Amino acid sequence: MSPFLLIVMRLSLGALFITVALCLYRLSLGPKAADRAVAFDTISSVFVGIICVLCIKWGSTLYFDAVWILMLLGFLGSASIAKYLIQGRIF
Amino acid sequence: MPTIVELITAILLLLGSTLMLSTGIGLVRFPDTFCRMHASGKAGTLGVVFMVLAAVEYFFGTPHDVWVRGGLAILFQFFTTPASTHLLAQAVYLCDYSVSDRTAVDELRKFLPSQPDQVFNQE
Repeated sequence: MSPFLLIVMRLSLGALFITVALCLYRLSLGPKAADRAVAFDTISSVFVGIICVLCIKWGSTLYFDAVWILMLLGFLGSASIAKYLIQGRIF
Repeated sequence: MPTIVELITAILLLLGSTLMLSTGIGLVRFPDTFCRMHASGKAGTLGVVFMVLAAVEYFFGTPHDVWVRGGLAILFQFFTTPASTHLLAQAVYLCDYSVSDRTAVDELRKFLPSQPDQVFNQE
């Protein structure tokens, strides 16, 4: 692996962690519950990106299945929060 | 000197992380819940797609090839993120409605009943 790709991966990991920090800011003091749900969904998307960068960095695709689990958790969390906000119950 | 594969991977990673960073900045700086959903639903989806494409492209042709899992993950992301964002926007619009002062047009408002219980909870 060339040092060029290492520098690019470090830059993109830095950008992703800054994004996680901004989303945590919105998650902590979002004025509504839906803001917090959107921030949680974005955090799960950013973790998918972090997993992809770490797969390239470590040269192994052992953890690539976690992409599925994180996407499912983000979707189910947002959908159930929306159902709860509308109906007052989830099911 | 980087090879062609590493160059394409680097370009995809930079595109994806830039879109992700713009998603975070939009989440903090936009004035309204709907604007924040706009930032998260569009730029976040495209950023994830570029990140997964970077991983798929880097491992393409090597013994651990992930293009089936990566392609299905991209398809799944394209299906689920608009659905969840639409559900959340519907919930906020019906139950907890407030927009910022700079909103110019809201055409849906005059077609909706005043109580959200008249739309849902009809059983």
